[in-house]
Amino acid sequence: MALTGRAGLITALGAAGVLFAPRPGYAVLGLLMLLAALVVVDLLLAGGVRPLRFQRGGERLVRLGESVTVELIAENPGRRRVRGTLRDAWPPSAGAGPRHLRLDVPAGERRRLVTTLTPSRRGDREAVTITVRSLGPLGLAARQGSHRVPWTVRVLPPFLSRKHLPAKLSKLRELEGRHPALVRGQGTEFDSLREYVVGDDVRSIDWRASARRADVVVRTWRPERDRRVLIVLDTGRTAAGRVGTSPIPLPPEPDRHAPASLLPPAGEPDRHLTASRLPPAVRPARPANAIPAGWPRLDWSMDAALLLSALATRAGDRVDFLAHDRAVRAWMSGGSRTDSLSALVNVMAPIEAELVEADSASMVAAILARAKRRCLVVLLTDLNPAAMDEGLLPVLPQLASRHVVLVAAVADPRVAEMASGRGTAEQVYDAAAAEHLRGERARLTARLRRHGAAVVDALPDDLAPALADAYLALKAAGRL
Amino acid sequence: MVIFGLLVIVLAALAALITGTSTDGRRLDPADSTLTGSKALAQILRQRGVRIERVSTIDDVVRLDGPGTQLLVSGSSFLSLDEITSLSRAQADLLVVGPVRGLSTLAPGITATSEAAVRSREPRCDLPAAVHAGNAYLGGAAFTVPARSTGCYPGADGPSLVRSSGSRTVTVVGDGGFMTNQRLAEDGNAALAVNLAGARPVLIWLVPPDASQVIPGSGQATLGELIPVGVPWAVLQLVIALLVVAFWRGRRLGPVVVERLPVVVRAAETAEGRGRLYRARRARDRASATLRAACVSRLTPRLGLSGDATPDQIIAATALRSGQDAVWVRSVLYGLIPADDAGLVALAGHLDTLERQVREP
Repeated sequence: MALTGRAGLITALGAAGVLFAPRPGYAVLGLLMLLAALVVVDLLLAGGVRPLRFQRGGERLVRLGESVTVELIAENPGRRRVRGTLRDAWPPSAGAGPRHLRLDVPAGERRRLVTTLTPSRRGDREAVTITVRSLGPLGLAARQGSHRVPWTVRVLPPFLSRKHLPAKLSKLRELEGRHPALVRGQGTEFDSLREYVVGDDVRSIDWRASARRADVVVRTWRPERDRRVLIVLDTGRTAAGRVGTSPIPLPPEPDRHAPASLLPPAGEPDRHLTASRLPPAVRPARPANAIPAGWPRLDWSMDAALLLSALATRAGDRVDFLAHDRAVRAWMSGGSRTDSLSALVNVMAPIEAELVEADSASMVAAILARAKRRCLVVLLTDLNPAAMDEGLLPVLPQLASRHVVLVAAVADPRVAEMASGRGTAEQVYDAAAAEHLRGERARLTARLRRHGAAVVDALPDDLAPALADAYLALKAAGRL
Repeated sequence: MVIFGLLVIVLAALAALITGTSTDGRRLDPADSTLTGSKALAQILRQRGVRIERVSTIDDVVRLDGPGTQLLVSGSSFLSLDEITSLSRAQADLLVVGPVRGLSTLAPGITATSEAAVRSREPRCDLPAAVHAGNAYLGGAAFTVPARSTGCYPGADGPSLVRSSGSRTVTVVGDGGFMTNQRLAEDGNAALAVNLAGARPVLIWLVPPDASQVIPGSGQATLGELIPVGVPWAVLQLVIALLVVAFWRGRRLGPVVVERLPVVVRAAETAEGRGRLYRARRARDRASATLRAACVSRLTPRLGLSGDATPDQIIAATALRSGQDAVWVRSVLYGLIPADDAGLVALAGHLDTLERQVREP
């Protein structure tokens, strides 16, 4: 049950009557009873909410940053017309609109209502409840009730780096020799034998084959194909850190909490540890001088992984995907080449960063268990010295001995900005702190390289193309 | 809603204005300054040295009763018959004004026989109080005149003022209009009233008990007593309306949707936190060492030196490339810890300069 503004208006206007009534006490009582009677009548005459039947239809997938419509068909099997408002409730980050829908379904008919979703973050968004408020004919009171009509819309990673794909593909074609390029189309993998024609490199003559035939035969080469690329996504606490500026406009956030001080407790410079102790639903308030929070490292990493995956699939390699923090979060074994990208996008969509320290030993064990053949392991993580020293570095040799390891990390543009700060003492102190971090990162990169891993450390926007270039370079060098 | 609220306020104010300007006074009350009151008379009497005791209970009357007093009764509907009887036994002289219940008890022998119009009348008697006053605004009732009594201001059926003198003087007046504030200034009303009421040094003026102990217009009423009866009820009605509106606005359309949100932690907070710690501790040693190390690590590849070059090699190469004095280069790259924040800022500037000069010799 719900009352309307009209009921309030009538009651308030009654106050004027009470003022002039000869017996105001009775007038108040009488008005109250009148209102109650009208409300009861209105409630009895309002269309029933419970018997309404709902069906959903529409899209189930949407790319982050795009809008999608979900339709709701309301059927009224009752004998009275149902007129009022309907709220199709979705989680806030689903960006559902409009908030309230007008509902007017005559008895025995059905109506179609459309909700537009503009999600502001990745993951699965489930419809919560449908609440209907059915007004009575007097418009004084309404019946109210809820229905659950499940529907899930999966918000996929936006794959913003696909704009780099044509450029990288043309590079790949150069490698393969199909492109009318200046680079000679020579790969490292044996392709086939053919007859010698004038101009062929004499070094590529296969003497053994020539001996079997009357003709001179040369070997042809092509870039390696059918290699395996295993993309490993670290979903530990470091993946939650926000970096750069979010390419997806965030919804205006009603910040009700007073901005709390973000100063970490003394002696604990690592903010991530502080954040990891908070329950996941608690959002630390932003500082007053709010710099936009950016996009999680995880999402930047996913973007780079998608470009790499698209490129590797075209290059004829097989792409597997593993997400891991303390346990395997997601695993996708690259099957058919045609839909591996969409399958990957689907697997990535619900992954969120867990606020736990990643367990590198178990990650390496998971990789070794899954990748029997030699493959390129692309490890998307953060170059965080504290986490790496005890995590990845001790187990890296184990991995590097069997696979080619490429570590890719998102650098923070804010750190570079801080490092260039000059002028006041505060800025110089910040610059020193930023240089400290960069120095640690550089030392860590050097150590990783010494262990035989290739390292890509790039700013958020450059990570995807840089990773693709690193992959192409490895491919060209025949190291896969 | 705003318009509606204003409407309610205007209506309430209007109603308060209409009902609040009541002219109802307490008739013949010595404390009432409205047209029907008698405050003017009371003041004249006080100026003439008469002590006026305004009472409304029999107990007060009995307490004040005694020789040299006069009791003025202008209404007795609030008294029981027993109380009227006890009034009749009082020693004080009695002045009965207007139609009064139990007149036969108060003034034995004097009865009202018929109605008489209230108008200006002549005394037509030898009662000094009336004769000196002259014409007065009287009427109301025509009385019988018992023996040893004087009747004045007669109409067709009898006098409208009768005074009988026995053990106590009892004066009965048919109408009190001449004593009101409205009429006191007309004819000889004031003189008659003063003559009648001021005959004794003490006047016990019996008035009906106050309903609220306050007389409108007396200036003693509190705001609450001035508010019409309907207003609190209207306020109650508005409170009910408020509750209805609160229920209207408070009823949520469906439950609150909760969502598990990811944490928002900027990755740079680690570096920013470290910067604040440096700042808080004024850690110039660490800050300068870090800045110098970063600068050197950037310079060495540019100078074509390996990572394990000695400081002397670096200084020499840098001085050669930048054209700066080697001593200065040493002081910048490997010098002392800056003594203050200004020194640190200057050091950062010098490092930048050196780097730029190496980059663009």
